[in-house]
Amino acid sequence: MLTLLKLIQSMIKTLHSEGTPGQVAAGIAIGSVLGLTPLLNLHNLLIFSFVVLLNVSFGGAMLGWALFVPVGFLLDPVFHAVGLELLQAPSLRPLWSTLTNTPLIPYTNFNNTVVLGSFAGWMLLSVPIFFAARYGVARYRATIGERVRQSRFYRAVTASQAYNWYRMFRPG
Amino acid sequence: MRLKIFRWKAIGPLLLLFAIIALVVVVFAEPIAHDTTEEASTELLGTQVDVGKLDLYPRKASVDLRALQIADPFRLTRNLLEADEIRLKLNPTALAEKKLVIEQLSLSGMRFGTTRKTPARPVEGNGFAPKILQAVDQWTKQFNVPLLSLTPIDTIRQLVLNPSQLTTVSQAQALLARTDSTRKALDQGFQQLNIRPTLDSAGALAQRLSATDPSKLGLDGTRQAIQSVQQTLRKLDAAKNRVEQLEQSTRAGVQLLGQGAGMLDQARQKDFAFARSLLKLPTFSAPDIGNAFFGQVSIERFKQALYWAELAQKYMPPGLLPRPSPGPQRLRAAGHTIEFPREKDFPRFLLEEGLLDFSIGGTSAARGAYAATVRGLTSAPTLYGRPTVITANRRAAGSALAAIDVDAILDHVTTSTKDSASARLRGLKLPSFDIPGVPFRLDPGIGTSNLDFTMRGGGAQLYGRWAISSQQVRWSVDTAGRSLNDLERLVWRVVSGLSELEVVAELGGAVASPRLSVRSNLDRAVSQRLQAVVGEEVARAERMVRAKVDSLVADKVEPLKRRIAVVQTEANARIRAERQRLEQVEQQLQAELKRLSGGLVPGIQLPKIKL
Repeated sequence: MLTLLKLIQSMIKTLHSEGTPGQVAAGIAIGSVLGLTPLLNLHNLLIFSFVVLLNVSFGGAMLGWALFVPVGFLLDPVFHAVGLELLQAPSLRPLWSTLTNTPLIPYTNFNNTVVLGSFAGWMLLSVPIFFAARYGVARYRATIGERVRQSRFYRAVTASQAYNWYRMFRPG
Repeated sequence: MRLKIFRWKAIGPLLLLFAIIALVVVVFAEPIAHDTTEEASTELLGTQVDVGKLDLYPRKASVDLRALQIADPFRLTRNLLEADEIRLKLNPTALAEKKLVIEQLSLSGMRFGTTRKTPARPVEGNGFAPKILQAVDQWTKQFNVPLLSLTPIDTIRQLVLNPSQLTTVSQAQALLARTDSTRKALDQGFQQLNIRPTLDSAGALAQRLSATDPSKLGLDGTRQAIQSVQQTLRKLDAAKNRVEQLEQSTRAGVQLLGQGAGMLDQARQKDFAFARSLLKLPTFSAPDIGNAFFGQVSIERFKQALYWAELAQKYMPPGLLPRPSPGPQRLRAAGHTIEFPREKDFPRFLLEEGLLDFSIGGTSAARGAYAATVRGLTSAPTLYGRPTVITANRRAAGSALAAIDVDAILDHVTTSTKDSASARLRGLKLPSFDIPGVPFRLDPGIGTSNLDFTMRGGGAQLYGRWAISSQQVRWSVDTAGRSLNDLERLVWRVVSGLSELEVVAELGGAVASPRLSVRSNLDRAVSQRLQAVVGEEVARAERMVRAKVDSLVADKVEPLKRRIAVVQTEANARIRAERQRLEQVEQQLQAELKRLSGGLVPGIQLPKIKL
């Protein structure tokens, strides 16, 4: 229940932040990799650093993460199949051999079928995710956004202490 | 407004986050490494591995393991190995590539075969090692080790046999059905041959031409006649081919029936053995006695060697092709993790050199000078390019334990793998064991034990030899539940008078079909004594068994054999007849062709007909 409330809070804050729809959508697209790929891998630390350092919506990235976790679980068999195909492709074998023997790269677990398959899946999906999210955010703000902003519920959410932390990372 | 790409003010919090992560790693690295080491090595070896303490020394790239215990997978109350301290010096470059290359390993306070305070947990699950353990357990079951049967001859009951219990009867019924279907198939084959129209038209042509004068036919008439003969000869040739094909399939069919008949004789031998086992006749053949006394204990030794050899096959595969293995356990799907070994790079795991050299002084049984070396233990032997060599020895003159020598070579550099190990233990207190089937227990005392084991081609070829010898054998008898019968007392008198023991067990064949032979100095002594006392009565009982089995199977087997002979004879005769008819008419046509052509029609090539 608490997670659900947090998710709603994050979603509302993100949708009403000062960031442009493009920044929110970019945050969602980058954050979705955290949900689509298995979390505890080195590449996700790099992705998290990008989310923090790039001028994209942090809340959007968290929203993308939360939204794509169940999608990642659902698509695991597909990711495994895709990863297996890529890792077993004879033309790519020299690349994998080189990466395996390059310092630090093996800690990304790229040679795991689910990790590679889900990362490749994210690379393909990130562009459609970005455009869909940008369209969705723009439509929301143009239609019901202002009414939600005026509601008591929104004020309660934004008054919380966590919101102050969030403001630190809001897009400039 | 110009859009900013970077959020510079976030660098501070990000660095703080990295610092927190680094702190968490420093605080929790050792407990996590400790648990992971225990978990991973338990799964890899298929037996419980306990590590008392694990210390990481990142600056020296080394790891210290203290109070290491590796349980014996075959005796959970015992440790295979116990070490007070193990120091691993790791290669930092390899570590950056997520590879474990141990440059040097040193051990201290090593002990073998110690008793555990608490029994180890059996390793379960779908890991490779538990599966291998189950597989070697199954492997031991395929040996037909006879139990020493010492049932008194006067208690042998009347033999009651049900024909359905006999393999010969069921095989005869199956063969009868096959004989009938072969016969039907032959009939169909002859019908489908359909050579009658060819024979008739060829015969009619030959008859017509014989009544014709070639000089009256003219050139065209002669040419046409020759062409008709050639055409008919080709048809005859095709018919002969069909007969030949039928002959081949007939031959194969009747040959199978002949083999089936031969199998019936083998089945009858099995039935004799089965019927004999129902009577529980006393065993007195020397090889059976050797197997019965020491077969089981020998298999246990070979089973352990096979287990370690199979693990080596799995973890040290030859070649440089990508290798998939199950991915890590996590909430998400594990997937497969694929290794890509590459020439001139580090393998995933390599123990370059492990040295052990220490002495235990004092007067204890364990005193002596120990030395052990492990070189080139690796997950990619082809990459390393040299076989793994393991040696261990101990010298302690005058000690109860005189000497231990263990040598092993695991050669997986090429696909024709060879694992060989030999262990020679002298002046060793050999473990006592029960003799299966009789209430005797053998305590070999101090003696020598040698084990040689070789596995080639991943189990295609096995060779094993286990030998024990002792001059101080002690026998004990357990009469708590019942008193010994006459035959057991007889055997007891023989064995209890012997203080020397020489046992040699040899294993051969392949993993899938191993052969075991065991001989000992007891075999002949026990066998001769039993033969002298109960030989005649056992022979009489065996004759009775044979007569009984023969009476049950004779009325099924003999008519069947006659039937098979009839099918064979009939088939051969029919084939011969068809062939003769074809050849006869072919000869007639050839003669007519010769007469018609007679050098008058040059340029006409006569068809070559195989006769």
